[in-house]
Amino acid sequence: MILAFALAAAVLFGSGAYLLLKRDLIRMVAGIMLISQCAVVTIIAAALSRGGAAIAVAPGDAVSDPLPQALALTALVIGLATVALLLALVHRAVVVFRTAEQDELAATEAEHEAGLERQRQADREETETHPDETRPDDIRPEDERRAGRERGR
Amino acid sequence: MLLSTALLLPWVSGAVLVALDGRRRVVAWLAVASLAATLAVLGVLAADVLGGDARQVVTGGWPAGVGVVLRADALGVAFALLSLLVLLAGAAHEAVGGVRSRTFPGLVVLLGAGLTGLFVTADVFSFYVFFELAMTASYALSAYGGKRRQLRAAVVFTAVNLLGSFVFLLSVAGAYHVTGALAMGQVAERVLAVNPNAAILIAAGFFIAFSVKLGLFPFHFWLPTVYAGARPAVAAILSGAVANIGAYGLLRFGVDLFPEQLRLAGVALVVLGAASIVYGGVLAVARGDAAEMLAYSAIGQVGYVLVALGVGGPVGLVAAVLYSVVNSLNKALLFLTSGVRGPLVAAAFAVGALSVAGVPPAAGFIGKLELFRTAIVAGSAALVVLLVVGSALSLVYLFQVYQRSFWRPDPSATGVASPLPQRLLTAVSALLVLAAGLWPEPLLLLSKDAVDALLAVDPQ
Repeated sequence: MILAFALAAAVLFGSGAYLLLKRDLIRMVAGIMLISQCAVVTIIAAALSRGGAAIAVAPGDAVSDPLPQALALTALVIGLATVALLLALVHRAVVVFRTAEQDELAATEAEHEAGLERQRQADREETETHPDETRPDDIRPEDERRAGRERGR
Repeated sequence: MLLSTALLLPWVSGAVLVALDGRRRVVAWLAVASLAATLAVLGVLAADVLGGDARQVVTGGWPAGVGVVLRADALGVAFALLSLLVLLAGAAHEAVGGVRSRTFPGLVVLLGAGLTGLFVTADVFSFYVFFELAMTASYALSAYGGKRRQLRAAVVFTAVNLLGSFVFLLSVAGAYHVTGALAMGQVAERVLAVNPNAAILIAAGFFIAFSVKLGLFPFHFWLPTVYAGARPAVAAILSGAVANIGAYGLLRFGVDLFPEQLRLAGVALVVLGAASIVYGGVLAVARGDAAEMLAYSAIGQVGYVLVALGVGGPVGLVAAVLYSVVNSLNKALLFLTSGVRGPLVAAAFAVGALSVAGVPPAAGFIGKLELFRTAIVAGSAALVVLLVVGSALSLVYLFQVYQRSFWRPDPSATGVASPLPQRLLTAVSALLVLAAGLWPEPLLLLSKDAVDALLAVDPQ
């Protein structure tokens, strides 16, 4: 019995992990759902340390531990809530990004990196310009003063 | 009574506040007030507990063993106080600047409820329930702001941490299977008689789950995207309060439930911690953006906690607790200042930077001092060198960013100055870090008491 549960949990976890590594956000959510079910199956199996499963027990037989069934129910409810939240997030991401592909989401990251690189480039170029050139307008006098103080330390 | 109040107060007020429109000033400040009230209750509880005797409540009036036991010892209360303090700073920061979403204040309070519950429960499964309550609130928080970067951060954060949560649940199932108990005290007793192979597998599962939360070296892959993508207040909350789950879990489950396995894995933990320190430090030096630098710095900083835990013993554990506390304060301060512009901010950032590097009189110095003591107790020159190198790296990367953002007028970084109250808040946080360094006795006493509570044999 425990072997059957172990195999079921292993298959669930394996399939979940496989889906989790996919590029598509929806498949990723499906993978997480499978892994959450794997945890529930494991909890149920954890009770089978004594007696038979508490389904269709003949009178007088040892019954397995009932407590993990309460745990399994709690875990199911929590899993439902978290997966619902994850689906809501993914839906929001699909609406904003107009895609459910991980790569395209990562492109945003790359854009941000490129922006930073441009900024750094600008920094470097600014230090190479002559100090008597015109300064940008958005530097306020208090910043100037503070920078002066910091240098003075 | 105090214990139930500390748990119910944020829970009820959070549930009410989530239903209200958080963009209104009143609601934001109500959230700050309820967090402050929870902090006050926890403070009174801490004053009780620090005498050395843990407070215990069995929920629902059941006999112990049937009902879920809530047990506040010095370790749990210390972490709860710290997390609530960080949440309070984050919530106040947003309340001053103007909240941008309906749910933010309520979610922060609910996160406070989840964290408090998790730090005071003495039952493995209710630990999981509170853990998920806190995590669910933080998943929703990580999307705060709703821009593209925040959404991407939220999707990554939620996916990875859900996986971590289910790994934790699998370990809970395994622990129940081999011990037949869920109360931490009973699990700790019965693990000794369990087949070592099974015990080490279960302990490894717990370790992986908490390492994902902390963002330790092999499990850190999600962290830079999330911390750099989230808004500064949320990043402060994630790194200063939510990451405490990982540190507390490693201490509680490692020292209390699986001491034998922790001893066996000591060298491995030190190696992983060292890898985290070097990796985080080196990559932080290579970053130009303040938020990204802080994210990599966070990976490096938790490495110190792991090294101290790996060395173990009373001295190592005190260092681990103390450094977790100090690191949370540093990170919260630095992330909050990274989102603020104007006078006073540079000084606050400098205090945070010096604290991370471990320069007196900031609080970080006390933490680093304990770490050096740990390295000397371990009798390892390599560890001492590692600590020095790590501190040097952190000085380099923090002051690089300091120079880029504050030292000279930089057209891209100096926008409009933030409102004065927001700047004052960062200044107050900086003063707190300074005060903790100048008057370290309370912190030291707290960590020592926490470790005493941890090493004491459970009364159950």
